[in-house]
Amino acid sequence: MATKVYALSTCPYCKMARKYLEENDVPFDVVEVDLLTGTEREEAVAQVKRLSGGTSFPVMEVDGEVIVGFNKPKMQKLLHL
Amino acid sequence: MRRFAPGTTSDDLKAYMGPFVARLGYKFNTDEDFVAMVLEGEIEVLDRDGDVYCPCRVRTGDPKEDLKIICPCIPFYTDQFSAMRKCWCGLFVRTDVEDGSALHGVIEAPTGPVDVRIAASGDLADGQGRVVAVGKRKLALFRVDGEFFCLENVCGHLWAPLGEGYLDGYHVMCPWHGWRYDVRTGETDHPDADVKTYPVSVRAGEVFVRV
Repeated sequence: MATKVYALSTCPYCKMARKYLEENDVPFDVVEVDLLTGTEREEAVAQVKRLSGGTSFPVMEVDGEVIVGFNKPKMQKLLHL
Repeated sequence: MRRFAPGTTSDDLKAYMGPFVARLGYKFNTDEDFVAMVLEGEIEVLDRDGDVYCPCRVRTGDPKEDLKIICPCIPFYTDQFSAMRKCWCGLFVRTDVEDGSALHGVIEAPTGPVDVRIAASGDLADGQGRVVAVGKRKLALFRVDGEFFCLENVCGHLWAPLGEGYLDGYHVMCPWHGWRYDVRTGETDHPDADVKTYPVSVRAGEVFVRV
C-alpha cells in the first residue's frame, strides 16, 4: 500500500497526521511543500490542488484515494487501522 | 514593512490576536496544547515569510489572495466559521464553545443553515430597523427593547422593503401602504401575506442571522 503525504513543515495537522501514521507503523513518503523551491514547489502545489481542489494541508494519497486534512476516520478506513 | 518585530513570541501573538478575535465573537481554542502547537507553527512562518500566514496553507504569491491567509483570517470566512464554530485550523473557536478540542480535525465545507454576521449590536437603536444584505439576499433587521428580529425584506402587498418601514412597538409598518407585521412572528392581518422570520443571535456585540 502506497501512502504519500503532502505537508507543510509548519502545519499542526500535518504533524498530527504524520505522528498518527508513525504510531501505526504505516510507511509513507512525505513532501514538505513549503521547504521546496522553484519548479519543484510549483509542481507540488499544482499536484495538491489537483488532488484536493485547494491548498490546505495535509493532503494524503492512499492507493489513489485522497484524504484532505487530518481525517482520522477516513485514514482508519483507507489504511485498515 | 513587518508588522511584528524580530523575536516575536507565541505570547506576543496571543496578546495581539486575543482582543481582535474577541470583537468578532471568537476566542482561543480551549485546548491549550493545540494552541501552543499552532502558534509555534505561526512563529516559524513569521520568521521565514515576514508575517503570520496560516501554517496549514500555502501562499499563492498573489498579495491580495495571500492576505486571506494571514492569521486571524476570520473576517474573510465569517459565514463558514460561524457554522463550523471555529476557524479553519481551530486556533480560534466561537466564544460559546466550551470544549474546543472536540472540534479538531476535518476541514469541511459547512452544510445546512449558517450564522451570518449582519450588524454590530450598536448599529441599531431600539425602535430602529434597516435593510441588511446576506449575500445577494436582502433582509429586514429590527431592534425592539434590546432584542433583534429579522424578517424577509419584502412586504406581501407590493414587495416594498420592510426594513425601511416604521416601528411601533413590536410591529413594523410598511413604508409604502402601511401594512403591519409583527416582527416577532412575521404575521400580518392580511390573509396569506405573512413574511418569513429568521433566527437572530447576538454574540460579543455582533448580530448574526441564521439563513
